[in-house]
Amino acid sequence: MMALLHKEFLLAWRGRARVAASLTFAAATLLMFSFSAGADGRLLQRLAPGFLWLAILLASTLTLQASFDAETQDGALDGLILSASAASIFYAKALTNWLFLAALGFVLLPLIAALFDAQLGALDRLMSVLLLGTAGLAAPGTLYAALAGRSRAAGLMLPLLYFPLVIPALVSSVKASELAFFGDPMNQWGGWMSLLLAFCLIFWSLCGALSTAILEDG
Amino acid sequence: MTGMIQGGWEFVWAAYGITGVAMGIYIASLWIRWKAEDKSE
Amino acid sequence: MTRQRVAAAFALVGLGLLSWGSYLGLWVAPPDRYMGDVQRIMYVHVPTAWLALVVFTLAFVYALLFLIRRTWRWDALHEATLEIGVLYTALLCIQGALWGKPTWGVYWAWDPRLTTVAVMLLSFAGILSLRHFLDDPLRRASWSATATILASANVPVVYYSVRWWNSLHQLQSTPKTVNSAMVEPLRINAFGLLALTIALIMIRSWIAEARRRRDLAPPLPEIEA
Repeated sequence: MMALLHKEFLLAWRGRARVAASLTFAAATLLMFSFSAGADGRLLQRLAPGFLWLAILLASTLTLQASFDAETQDGALDGLILSASAASIFYAKALTNWLFLAALGFVLLPLIAALFDAQLGALDRLMSVLLLGTAGLAAPGTLYAALAGRSRAAGLMLPLLYFPLVIPALVSSVKASELAFFGDPMNQWGGWMSLLLAFCLIFWSLCGALSTAILEDG
Repeated sequence: MTGMIQGGWEFVWAAYGITGVAMGIYIASLWIRWKAEDKSE
Repeated sequence: MTRQRVAAAFALVGLGLLSWGSYLGLWVAPPDRYMGDVQRIMYVHVPTAWLALVVFTLAFVYALLFLIRRTWRWDALHEATLEIGVLYTALLCIQGALWGKPTWGVYWAWDPRLTTVAVMLLSFAGILSLRHFLDDPLRRASWSATATILASANVPVVYYSVRWWNSLHQLQSTPKTVNSAMVEPLRINAFGLLALTIALIMIRSWIAEARRRRDLAPPLPEIEA
């Protein structure tokens, strides 16, 4: 497992040009959202938490897709599966993707604050939402990336399967971020975080259990 | 009879019509696909 | 030949019951006290909803059975239930919109049930198209079964989160008016659609099985004399 993680980090480091590109992509989507919503400052401020998560979601399709490129291009996955269990390969990839997405979220925060004049109210809360929310995206996203990467129309397949699945994670992340941004008069933040945590627990365990069927068949 | 929604038959016909037509098309497509597979065997 | 007779019998019984039930629902049943004639949409909408749930539950069971038992038959049934479930949920959304316009005033509302059905439609339609993009039968079967299990596990989570998300402006659901003249067409249509669905699943699974056989052993080209 440690060796697998080391390999993943090494791959991520070698692909750092890609990291910069996906960051640029996320920033570009933020600009596009603002242009589509109009120049109403108050409205943009209110929409900022949603935009943050949409930017992360859209950028995640690119980075998730890339996480299996190294293995699928030369059939290295077949070799890897002989020496490590499917679940450990899956968890190493999912963990790397999670860390990357969380880092992306942290980098986007000051950008959001500047672009939309959003007060980053409770920064500790915002950090925990980002950590948990990106965990919710990473597990199903990694599993579907493994699957989409080896089908025809890979770029189409990943969002088609992954978007509907992460709707609960997106809803609760956006809600919890809103409460962190704008204050939480009715004390609902904990509730949304528990929902998010439940989503993460369900899909981190379920995707790990099902990764055998994806990685070993075919 | 106060408070009862009046009319709305066009919505009723549309719902039944769309459902009926869609089911008809689906059954026909199943029939065609099954005949095609049956012949190729 | 016999299995085709069975499917044909189910289909005929189903179509017969559906015509009878719809006749009762459209012409015999009285208009609802509140909903008026729009209520008649329920005689087709509610059975569609029930059967959509049954079919997707079956899809989940077949997906699980395929992954455990590794038999092609379960994969064929899985494919059949996926396609029919997507058809039913699509119809369900259309019927719901047509009911919503005259009663709620809008075609679409972010009601938890409505939204959950829309998410189910999207998820399973995605899985159906995934099957089209996988050429290897084993990959197709096992990967789509995995996706079906994930999508099914997600349904209660989606329902719960949408209900909470929209809790501040929750819409009124249908008032239940119990009247035998209104229950009868509902029940007849439900059994009719059940019979028809059994026939459809049978036929669709034969198609899937025939296609899979063709994929594994394509017919040899004919030798020219």
